[in-house]
Amino acid sequence: MRNTGRVSIAVRFIAALLSLVAASVMRDARADDFDLMRLMQLLAAAPATEVAFIEKKYSSLLSEPVVSSGKLLYRRPDVVEKNIESPRKERYRFIGDELLLVRNGNEKKIALSSQPLLSAFAASLRGVLGGDLALLRNHYELSLRGEEATWHLDLTPLDEDTARYVQRIVVAGRAGRIEQIEVRETSGDRSVLQVR
Amino acid sequence: MAGSGFLSGLASRAVARFVAALICFAALALFAAKTLRVESDFAAFLPPSTTPEERLLIAQLRDGLVSRLMLVALQGTDEKSLARTSHKLAERLARAPEFEYAANGSLDQFVAQGEVLMRNRYVLSPSLNAEKFTESGLRAALEEQLAQMASPFGALSRSIMVRDPTSEFLAVVRQFDAGAMPALRHGVWFSADGKRAFLIAQTRAPGFDSEGQQQAMATVRKALAEESPQVSAILTGPGVFAAESRRLIRSDAERLSMLSALVILAMLVFVYRSALAVVLVTIPVAFGLLIGVLVVNAVFGSVHAITLGFAATLIGEAVDYPSYLLLNIPPGEVARNTARRFRVTFALAVLTTVVSALALTLSSFKGLAQLGVLTMVGVLVAGLATQYLIPWLLGDHTLVFRRLKVPSANIFARSRWPAAIAALAIVAAAGYLAYQHPAWWQRDLAAISPVPPEMRVEDAELRREMGAPEVSVFLASRGRSQDAALQAAENVLPVLLRWKQEKWIRSFDSPAWYLPTPATQRERLRYLPERVELEGNLAQALKGLAFRPDAFKPFVDDVAAARVAGPVAIASYAGTPLGAKLNALVVELDGQWLVLTPLGGVVDTKTLAQDLAANPRSNSQIVDLKQVSADMVDGFRREALSQSGWGAALILLLLAVGLRSARRALHVALPAAAALVLTVAVLVAGGERLSVFHLVALLLVLGIGLNYALFFERVAADADERSRTRLALAVCSTSTIVTFGFLALSSTPVLHAIGSTVALGAVLALSISALWVRRSEPA
Repeated sequence: MRNTGRVSIAVRFIAALLSLVAASVMRDARADDFDLMRLMQLLAAAPATEVAFIEKKYSSLLSEPVVSSGKLLYRRPDVVEKNIESPRKERYRFIGDELLLVRNGNEKKIALSSQPLLSAFAASLRGVLGGDLALLRNHYELSLRGEEATWHLDLTPLDEDTARYVQRIVVAGRAGRIEQIEVRETSGDRSVLQVR
Repeated sequence: MAGSGFLSGLASRAVARFVAALICFAALALFAAKTLRVESDFAAFLPPSTTPEERLLIAQLRDGLVSRLMLVALQGTDEKSLARTSHKLAERLARAPEFEYAANGSLDQFVAQGEVLMRNRYVLSPSLNAEKFTESGLRAALEEQLAQMASPFGALSRSIMVRDPTSEFLAVVRQFDAGAMPALRHGVWFSADGKRAFLIAQTRAPGFDSEGQQQAMATVRKALAEESPQVSAILTGPGVFAAESRRLIRSDAERLSMLSALVILAMLVFVYRSALAVVLVTIPVAFGLLIGVLVVNAVFGSVHAITLGFAATLIGEAVDYPSYLLLNIPPGEVARNTARRFRVTFALAVLTTVVSALALTLSSFKGLAQLGVLTMVGVLVAGLATQYLIPWLLGDHTLVFRRLKVPSANIFARSRWPAAIAALAIVAAAGYLAYQHPAWWQRDLAAISPVPPEMRVEDAELRREMGAPEVSVFLASRGRSQDAALQAAENVLPVLLRWKQEKWIRSFDSPAWYLPTPATQRERLRYLPERVELEGNLAQALKGLAFRPDAFKPFVDDVAAARVAGPVAIASYAGTPLGAKLNALVVELDGQWLVLTPLGGVVDTKTLAQDLAANPRSNSQIVDLKQVSADMVDGFRREALSQSGWGAALILLLLAVGLRSARRALHVALPAAAALVLTVAVLVAGGERLSVFHLVALLLVLGIGLNYALFFERVAADADERSRTRLALAVCSTSTIVTFGFLALSSTPVLHAIGSTVALGAVLALSISALWVRRSEPA
């Protein structure tokens, strides 16, 4: 008697499992469903090139936003360069665990792992430009809104040190093309980088 | 009497005497328990300090910054978990009463310290000048801030920008960059390969306080077990060394002495087959030890824990006295008569040991002086107890025990060859030692500390990984007052910078950075404009920039506050890691003040000293703690050797008077001296370097060797007496060799040194005495 009772519980459990699996298979089967995996595929497939950008910094300390412009370059797997041309030349080159900084004619190297904030910043650029889901999830909690034609990806920092300064990063785009990266700081300041 | 079976067969008066002795002993023990004060400051066992550098060294070793630092290395899981554990552990240790602070490299840890530096940035900043607060100076600073704001660092710089647009805080922090810090990962200190996370914690207990250090270690382990049991930790540092070596020595000593006590008890039972005899053998040493400890406590005010530990070994010789007496009692004779016949031999055996301990008593090492007093009193009491207390206890009772026969090694005695070969070996040993001298003296003070070598290797490895080498070279700046010493330290800053540029040193960490002299502070404050003037310049500078006009009000407020704030002093840093550091580096010594600047990566101290000599008015000098400690050990060695020389002469004189013949005195002293030479030669050939502990052990060898020779030398009445003497010597030497042989098995360097030296010395002294002295007896 007791044995049959146990068997029937097991059977019901397996049946429930099967139905769950079937449901998820059916969800995946719909090709037009837009999710993180799909977005990453699109981003990873996009050609890695150099794009021009314009960035605006809004702050309660400023009476008007500070505007800078330059070029953003990505080369797989991990080279990201942000070259600011105006109002003055500055170059930030992330490669491996290093940030090379050229400013006022001075070169400086900083180890990314030494600064959680920098490390998270580099991960957001590399993860989004290269479609690297694992890297993004290492540093952020992800939430995707919209559909393939226009999407918004919210990155909320996991690391306490980063969260002290950055509240959220919102990346917006169309299919495999990134159009805007907005960094919302905990202080209320924000910077909006638009790809032209 | 069921509880005292060994007394059966004694007359009731004898029983009464035993009870009286027991009551006497119990009263003394009770008194000792009430009055004894045991201290464990290891500095008592460091050489005496005479020069200011030496006193500085001792102060640093005992209580200095370095002695209180505990290094914690976390390992065993992935980087992220280690970083998380590092944060949690640092947080908990910072709150624990055992620690002043715990640092793991993370920025928020230095918030309190950063706030002090931020608040006082205008008197601390080396880059401050009047130009910075003019319209053009401010304009340049604001433009720089605007660019910074738009950069990826904007979020970071924003928080302090409005208070400090001229970046004085950064200028202050930059000069502190000592150059040697571990790599940061996930914001905390890590080894280069990312396998270990590092923390540095400063204990409240001084380094020598091994109990306090043990407590601190337990706190770390407990916190770790509660936060992340999967992470394992290595703890190291001078305090950890003190606690660990105490624990190791204690457990080793307890285990080994228990073992050897059991073996010796078994041997005594086997030899005597009499409970009464075995009890009698323990009485003199028990009284000797107890009264010795009481006298030391009375003379010095306290007894050092190490003295107590070694006393047992030094008085170990006293265990032999009752055996010499009991085993020499002919059948049917009362102990009183035997004691009377052996009076002179006994007196000499005891007095020679007392004289050899005299050398220790005169030592300026406090710990060794204690050891000397304890040995003198202990041996004297044990000798008196053997000579008078045992016969009194026994009264007219004749002791009955089995008498073992020890075969006499007449073959050796008849041939001259073994004695000649021994003589040759000793001459060769003496030559070898003379040739190698002084390489076989231990010059490294660190090696004298009883820390197991594996722990020192581990410590060195961790320090290398952390990029935090042990600091042993300081620049000491002097002055009559604290301000004068700081002035001297400030004056020498350009010299230090030059040394760094020349790559003579890799880094330096000057207290003058944190505590500018009052004159310098006043001068810097004079650069700060009045509020109205600053507001005017700022308004002009802001024209045409994107900043809101009131954005930098906090800056204006801070400058105004700085103009009226008091000067920076050590007290300003209270409760921060810097406060603890400054307390250790700015010290008063012998009525004058010293400011110590630790130097890192020193290539050659001579170059630095010469360069300083070219500036005679710098009031600063190089102190190399390693060199100072080596000099101290050398000084001690010279002192110990000259005292030993006097001691040896005294022993010879004593023997000559006691034996009424210079020839006989030499006859007794030579084998003991030869045994010493041979023992040292064997130890040195085996790769040992002689330290204080070896010297103490050698004194014991001398005492034992003289005893053997004295008993061999005694002209025996007949063959029976010779046989009894052989048995007595066999029993005594076996117990010595067993006790110290067990100690030699210890993995603790100190115990091993003493054990191997004495066991080896006893074997050699016995053999040489047998070969040289016995030949004079009629065959």
